[in-house]
Amino acid sequence: MHVVSGEFYPDWEAVYRDNVDRVYRLMFAKVGNRADAEDLTAEVFLAALRPLRVSASVAEVRAYLVATARTVLAGYWRQRLGHEVTRLSDDEELESPPADTAVSGEAAGRAAAVLAELPELYRRILVLRFLKSCSVREAAAALGVSVGYAKVLQHRALRRAAQLLEVNE
Amino acid sequence: MSTRGARRFVADLLAGRRPRSFRAQDTDIEELRAAITLRASRPGSAAPRAEFVTDLHQRLAAELAAEQTQAPQETPQPPAPFGRGMDGTRRRLVAATSIAAAAAAVGAAVDHTLTSRNPAQNNPGGQQTLIPNTGEWRTVSTSANLTEGGVQSFDLGTVIGFVARTDGTLRAVSGVCTHLGCRLALNAPAQRLDCPCHNTSFALNGTLLRYQLAVPPPALPQLEVRETQGMVQVYTPPGPVA
Repeated sequence: MHVVSGEFYPDWEAVYRDNVDRVYRLMFAKVGNRADAEDLTAEVFLAALRPLRVSASVAEVRAYLVATARTVLAGYWRQRLGHEVTRLSDDEELESPPADTAVSGEAAGRAAAVLAELPELYRRILVLRFLKSCSVREAAAALGVSVGYAKVLQHRALRRAAQLLEVNE
Repeated sequence: MSTRGARRFVADLLAGRRPRSFRAQDTDIEELRAAITLRASRPGSAAPRAEFVTDLHQRLAAELAAEQTQAPQETPQPPAPFGRGMDGTRRRLVAATSIAAAAAAVGAAVDHTLTSRNPAQNNPGGQQTLIPNTGEWRTVSTSANLTEGGVQSFDLGTVIGFVARTDGTLRAVSGVCTHLGCRLALNAPAQRLDCPCHNTSFALNGTLLRYQLAVPPPALPQLEVRETQGMVQVYTPPGPVA
């Protein structure tokens, strides 16, 4: 289905079909794991269902879904860790799913920027562990270091990446 | 040094598990955020599973069906107390599947403010009267200025609206459209309030005159109004703190 902003959805199923992918991507980029991204996406649609009223434009529906997602995400972090680790900013939009890749555009861009700034060894351990899903043992073998050192390396690299991310914000 | 909880959180993320809850320290947050950003950028990870999309669709359909079957039992209760009345309205509106939409954030907030308290004089037309938890009588006009047939808008910071004297009776209504929260404009020649957004109009007493929407928006909430010592006053929340 092809819908552009300014148009109206014919029914709630159209709202769902057009936005479920977008809402999921938004959540996945903020929680980084499938189980929680699925639960949060479901929560957004279940919560948004009730206030669904008379016709609003596609843009209005999307703005409402993002606003709901923002609240749902904040509640998730409050309950899980007592801190808002990630949040949906006020200007967040439901972007179109990228056509040729299954990567979340925004998260990928920020991650790539940070990785590029890291020292070689730090970058490699993070790529192996986070992007390629290698075990510590596999990563250690790939880097030619001990398992113990790979753990230390990962920890330091993550801390360094965190500092860079804060600076880049 | 990050805490044990934070290290376990990262390990869970890397293992594709749902991270466990813990009481995070301030010092953990940046690293957790970095771990999430890195993990979320993993190629092939961002799209939802087809199975999940299908399951959630069914869950939503079931929720809607449940709301529809409940609606008929609840609707025939004209001067219903707030809770049920509002519920009934919501259900009926949801049941009309022509719709899907949304109160923009502003609309939702307004909706809550204007309907969350319900007064004794709930009239059968579904029109509600706004009585704030904490309110005061605030002057919006003078008796001399508001003669028979007169209308005046007011903006008290917390509430905007119109007050009119028709057939000797004063009436005050909210000046916010009940559809999506646009500000109504007085159309003096036609003696009505027009919404600039979707061709919706209300009479000066708040009843709906015309609309182009799939479902009629509710009447405008009324405000309590009184005339004392030459002043026309409405009962509203105190002004916003400057």
